[in-house]
Amino acid sequence: MNSSWSREIKAVFMKEWQIEMRSQSGLITGLLFSVVTVYAISFATLNAKLPGTVIAGLLWIALLFSGAASLPRIFLAEEEQGTADLLRLVARPHAVFWGKSIFNCLQAVVTGLILSFLYIGFTSKAVSVPWLFTVCIAMGSLSLAGAVTLCGAIAAQAANRSVLSAAIAVPLLLPLVALGVSGLRVALNDGAISDGYVAAVGLTGYAFATLATGPYIFAAVWKT
Amino acid sequence: MGIAVVWSYTVPDANKFQVPGMARIFLWHFPCPMLAVFLLIYAAWCALRISSRVTIKPTFSVQPETDHDQKMLWDLRSVAAMEIGYIFCLLTMATGILFSEVQWGDWWSWDPRQTSFLIVLLIYAAYFALRFAYTDAGKKAAYSGAYALATILPTLFLVFVFPRIPYIKNLSLHPSDSIMKGLITGQYGQCVCYILALFTVLAVYLFKLRMRVGTLETNLEKHDGNLENSGGSPAVTGVVRSVHLP
Repeated sequence: MNSSWSREIKAVFMKEWQIEMRSQSGLITGLLFSVVTVYAISFATLNAKLPGTVIAGLLWIALLFSGAASLPRIFLAEEEQGTADLLRLVARPHAVFWGKSIFNCLQAVVTGLILSFLYIGFTSKAVSVPWLFTVCIAMGSLSLAGAVTLCGAIAAQAANRSVLSAAIAVPLLLPLVALGVSGLRVALNDGAISDGYVAAVGLTGYAFATLATGPYIFAAVWKT
Repeated sequence: MGIAVVWSYTVPDANKFQVPGMARIFLWHFPCPMLAVFLLIYAAWCALRISSRVTIKPTFSVQPETDHDQKMLWDLRSVAAMEIGYIFCLLTMATGILFSEVQWGDWWSWDPRQTSFLIVLLIYAAYFALRFAYTDAGKKAAYSGAYALATILPTLFLVFVFPRIPYIKNLSLHPSDSIMKGLITGQYGQCVCYILALFTVLAVYLFKLRMRVGTLETNLEKHDGNLENSGGSPAVTGVVRSVHLP
């Protein structure tokens, strides 16, 4: 990657970073959502001792819906504020996608780790394979960010864009949830370690495939 | 179709199933997901062509005059494939649910294959929801095409990889690897091949019909609803004849 690409990507990323640091709305909303979700799940299950598979499933549902609701904002806000056309003029499509995806990946990984550690803390469930737990949350968050960023860009100019971006992103992410639950349940001592390896490899592959193909699909529609 | 129906009743019962006589639903079930997935891949291919400059053979009397017309024709092919693929998806689910009730005792068994194909159905539905959200034809074509491309990886994973993950495979009641293990032989194999060919012909017919309808709609819009040109001659489509009222 030559210096002009890295400069453009960095410029887009820093724009998002500075907007976030100025308002801190995403950070605060993400933290608040994480705490409320963890509490709501514990409340709904009457704080029962749940098996690893159920905990993994509930955690992934929370990650999925928090990501699908908050991450597409990165493109929706551009259209709503009327700054999207300026971005189309000043930056190349691949640079825009990478800059925004990297920001979303960072946000998704941080939210994912905070939410999962809070949830594990509330449920007092021991993590028997910490590296697998971390890989599942990290790779899953990267895949989530990549797919949801693309869906946000696709739905950005549509009617009812906020709901639509989540509606089109969730079906694409359900296979990711299946892999994530398979891996997390093993990390929570509910399954064979070989299944965990398969899930970790699957999640890593899904993340790479999503982030590798996303820029090309995005570039085809960004200047439409 | 009549031959297929009669033939499906004459094949011998499949003894390895709980209700051997009703296993013949498999003959109608098996071709549907194959066509559904093929049509999804074809739709994604057409979506890819929307963004490239390739001349395609014109359908009927429509000559793609501009790049925009070319793109709209590829979009029409893509949406036609998705619509017919959706029909086959629904048929897959319907026959699968019948099979589930007869063989496993529940209409919905949360079998991994059943569940994964339901997700494919949701992906198709999301595509149509996206199309309905755009009114501009160019944007509709571009964005729905992008989504069709983005769905390829998850669909292939759900249909071919997910049911074969070892932990998932052990939980599944659904017969798997029947073709790879050479279990579909004799009259069953011949009948299912015949029905697959029949459904393929049906899919091609429906596709051509949908293309024709879409082309006529495009022409109608192009001519602002006028079915005659200024000289009073029939419209370019040659389908509707001019009517002169007394």
